[in-house]
Amino acid sequence: MCTQIKNMLLQVNFTVDEIRTMMDKKKNIRNMSVIAHVDHGKSTLTDSLVSKAGIIAGAKAGETRFTDTRKDEQERCITIKSTAISMFFELDEKDLVFIKNPDQRDKDEKGFLINLIDSPGHVDFSSEVTAALRVTDGALVVVDCVSGVCVQTETVLRQAIAERIKPVLFMNKMDRALLELQLDSEDLYQTFQRIVENVNVIIATYSDDDGPMGEVRVDPSKGSVGFGSGLHGWAFTLKQFSEMYAEKFKIDVVKLMNRLWGESFFNPKTKKWSKQKEPDNKRSFCMYVLDPIYKVFDSIMNYKKEEADNLLKKLGIVLKAEDKDKDGKALLKVVMRTWLPAGEALLQMIAIHLPSPVTAQKYRMEMLYEGPLDDEAAVGIKNCDPNGPLMMYVSKMVPTSDKGRFYAFGRVFSGKVSTGMKARIMGPNFQPGKKEDLYEKAIQRTILMMGRYVEAIEDVPSGNICGLVGVDQFLVKTGTITTFKDAHNMKVMKFSVSPVVRVAVEPKNPADLPKLVEGVMCDLIVFNSLGLKRLAKSDPMVQCIIEESGEHIIAGAGELHLEICLKDLEEDHACIPIKKSDPVVSYRETISEQSNQMCLSKSPNKHNRLFMMACPMPDGLAEDIDSGDVNPRDDFKVRARYLNEKYDYDVTEARKIWCFGPDGSGPNILVDCTKGVQYLNEIKDSVVAGFQWATKEGVLSEENLRGVRFNIHDVTLHADAIHRGGGQIIPTTRRCLYACLLTASPRIMEPVYLCEIQCPEVAVGGIYGVLNRRRGHVFEEQQVAGTPMFVVKAYLPVNESFGFTADLRSNTGGQAFPQCVFDHWQILPGDPMELGSRPYQVVQDTRKRKGLKEGLPDLNAYLDKL
Amino acid sequence: MFYVIGLGLGDAKDVTVKGLEIIRKCDRVYLESYTSVLTVQQETLEEFYGCSLIAADRELVENCADEILPNRKDEDVAFLVVGDPFGATTHTDLVLRAKEKDIQVKVIHNSSILTAVGCCGLQLYSYGEIVSIPYWMDTWRPDSFYEKIASNRQRGLHTLCLLDIKVKEPTLESIMKKKKEYMSPKFMSVNEAASQLIAILDNKIQDGHKDLAFTQQSLIVGLARVGCEDQHIVACSLQNMTRVNLGPPLHCLVIPAEKLHPLELEFLIQYALDKDQFKEMTES
Repeated sequence: MCTQIKNMLLQVNFTVDEIRTMMDKKKNIRNMSVIAHVDHGKSTLTDSLVSKAGIIAGAKAGETRFTDTRKDEQERCITIKSTAISMFFELDEKDLVFIKNPDQRDKDEKGFLINLIDSPGHVDFSSEVTAALRVTDGALVVVDCVSGVCVQTETVLRQAIAERIKPVLFMNKMDRALLELQLDSEDLYQTFQRIVENVNVIIATYSDDDGPMGEVRVDPSKGSVGFGSGLHGWAFTLKQFSEMYAEKFKIDVVKLMNRLWGESFFNPKTKKWSKQKEPDNKRSFCMYVLDPIYKVFDSIMNYKKEEADNLLKKLGIVLKAEDKDKDGKALLKVVMRTWLPAGEALLQMIAIHLPSPVTAQKYRMEMLYEGPLDDEAAVGIKNCDPNGPLMMYVSKMVPTSDKGRFYAFGRVFSGKVSTGMKARIMGPNFQPGKKEDLYEKAIQRTILMMGRYVEAIEDVPSGNICGLVGVDQFLVKTGTITTFKDAHNMKVMKFSVSPVVRVAVEPKNPADLPKLVEGVMCDLIVFNSLGLKRLAKSDPMVQCIIEESGEHIIAGAGELHLEICLKDLEEDHACIPIKKSDPVVSYRETISEQSNQMCLSKSPNKHNRLFMMACPMPDGLAEDIDSGDVNPRDDFKVRARYLNEKYDYDVTEARKIWCFGPDGSGPNILVDCTKGVQYLNEIKDSVVAGFQWATKEGVLSEENLRGVRFNIHDVTLHADAIHRGGGQIIPTTRRCLYACLLTASPRIMEPVYLCEIQCPEVAVGGIYGVLNRRRGHVFEEQQVAGTPMFVVKAYLPVNESFGFTADLRSNTGGQAFPQCVFDHWQILPGDPMELGSRPYQVVQDTRKRKGLKEGLPDLNAYLDKL
Repeated sequence: MFYVIGLGLGDAKDVTVKGLEIIRKCDRVYLESYTSVLTVQQETLEEFYGCSLIAADRELVENCADEILPNRKDEDVAFLVVGDPFGATTHTDLVLRAKEKDIQVKVIHNSSILTAVGCCGLQLYSYGEIVSIPYWMDTWRPDSFYEKIASNRQRGLHTLCLLDIKVKEPTLESIMKKKKEYMSPKFMSVNEAASQLIAILDNKIQDGHKDLAFTQQSLIVGLARVGCEDQHIVACSLQNMTRVNLGPPLHCLVIPAEKLHPLELEFLIQYALDKDQFKEMTES
């Protein structure tokens, strides 16, 4: 162990051994992520927690950004990679009674092990959030109470609910609301109320309280909403205030909490509570919660020394000698932090309201596991059983100080993972009973990850998060690790963002090419080179592709994401100077009509004939497939009923969907509409392979297909099996599908961002100008209540988004800040087969970039005559 | 004129006199090299025929037929096929294409395994549908030929099983790429085929099938290099066939009918691996 880590451990108030003991008390574990819109103050808030747990000195909270471990993160003040830390925290006896569910606490244990993952807020890094959510059960949703619920808050919250992650809410930056906006207390209450409502609307859209998670909505009167300032290190929930007043009012703490929120008013003269506003009563939240805070702020910031001293005495705040001389903001911070320590309030909220693995895995199992819901692995996960078979999900790879090596980071859902144990390492392409993407290897080392530091640990039982050494050689990004030989995979994560922006890279010095390229094949068509491979590993979503033209492509969510990826590639992964092309957009190919004829293609030996047609999917189906509402793993009967009810598909046909593609899950389907064809099942695999190929590389410019349904109407086969193998059927299927596309009015689709721009009113005009020039259109414009700020929401084609931020700033005097997140695909108007049209140009540019023959595909090359 | 000429089964000298005369006068001579092979190399043929040959692999024949067919009325092109030209179904298309282009076609026949298989003593009259046994891959494991064998057996007919050959086949992965990669050449042997048949039987048993068409104890005949000097024939149980090594390619299998004619038995027993066992198997 290096001395640095040793010193580190001396500072902390818990040891690895203590943590290991806690790991067995699974009811006292909370795995949680901190999620929020960019710049809403997550990392700063996280520091308050860490300081409470004692990892860094309390005074530094708010300035250190413990979880931002990278130099660029500290410099840019944004989080790029998510970071995990484990903390130990003891709850007081009086607080323990708030935990009623027996699965939420070991009855003899006061301590809690909190595994926290701080993840990035910028939309370009949402995939990091997805990876964090998978390994946690609860989420602390941080919202800047001045800006309110933003696009990224909604995106991540939606994802959290979909993964069955229970949220609690924290209203951050109250200091700004008080100091900068100077809102009066009723206005501030209304602001809070609105945010709670907005959050609950999102929650209600994606889950309901009768669902398996129970009540998901957040409620200040229950204590699941916190308020405060991460930067100043103070926070509270209504529980803290209720405790202060409970004795005075002689009311039970829980009952009082109910009275401190919502339409609850108190008349100080008559000492009567009321449910309505009357002339001489006041909202209890304002009176008992906000007013004291306002008074502290007012007396200290306006240098009313005497008043302040009295107030401090009244509130029982005792300052340390060295803090007594402070004044103004510095004093305010100390006072608030002493009065309402953020760590205490937050940790209480986490321990009381977020689920333990025991609680969470009961309802999460069916969302997590692909196999039968009653096999050993499923039961182990459901019961969070440390004695069950090992089931661990690796959600991401974290670079180590050893160049090119990674820790596999993930969560143990069942059993125990230990140093030296032999396990099955299964990648996302593993299928039960097959050997592909499967390795049986020993786990070199299990480790605990704490911010910047890692610590070896003998073993880790179910319900905990940890890292593994040595697994990175066998997994590209994610995977399942198990000891159960019949285990299926844990479900792969769905990312809310798509890698729609791509650049081509090459080394500045051609001699460095081998460093960039070492042809490691990891997919049929996707290659990873050495540096690129490391990059692909370290980021959950980035795609590194070698085009057949030899170009090395990196695809990411947006300009910022790519910028960071390229920097990582240059400095950390390949360590060579790199040249990059201008960013380009990924397109999709689709069709706008049904094929105008039955398309026939013959196999090379002419003995096998396929008859097929294509038609566009009804609106919404492609999105249903993207979101997984319709997916290849559904029971085919259930899926057929759904397709019949929602999209009016014929039930018999809908039951015979052979596959989804590309990659087995994409938004295109192949339907068997044949009747009584003998030996059809013998060519199914080959037809499916041809379909995967054709949907991955469309006929126009070899971009992915989207929203196309292919029907196989008839098949004529050679009498002998040997003459209808893959070599005959795969290329024929592709040719036939291409003919289907070309006869169905092909179209090009482009990705579109949802763009949210915050700015003062004067800048709105400038925004419209910039958006108009870039084919964007505004669909919502709203003033942020209680502020002079406006929020403009617009759709902006990704292709028009390069340099958008800079353009926007220069046209609004630097006052407008956009956040763009991929929203949908949209047909680029025009016929790509028509010379000179815009889509035609897109097709030609793409073909040229990929090294394909320029011009248009010829139907005669794919369609055969009877 | 477009000539399709059968080369017979064994070596260079199996070509017919008529065939040889035509080969020698043709402007271009193609040797089809993917449906079957001779025991001799292309150079040996060239030396014997006194002309050079163009190797025609699957891609050339299937995708570039126009390249092979005569370009002018007075050009003579020969297309040499091991065995009999239409023994494999594959070349009908080539002939149709020629007709389409108004090119005259002449076929010179020769012997084929379909008739030469008579050498094992089972009467040609009693053969049913012919099947091929393909090499299985990870995901593609067709077994539909089992049904054909079963229906032949039911009707008291023998089944000739041709065994897969891969001379220059692209790998499945590379089919979907622009640059083709080829599998190394391989030829299925009788023991490989027997193992595959047993695997099918096992699957059928697992699926709960009863009354299997044949069992591991059924009589089976393995033939190697029929028509060559070192032709080799063995009759034994399917089980034992998995351990038989008949040497270099080409191999084929015959699954005889359940009931054999006494003369068939008398002829076949000379190839029995173990005569006592053979008698046991064929009694009743």
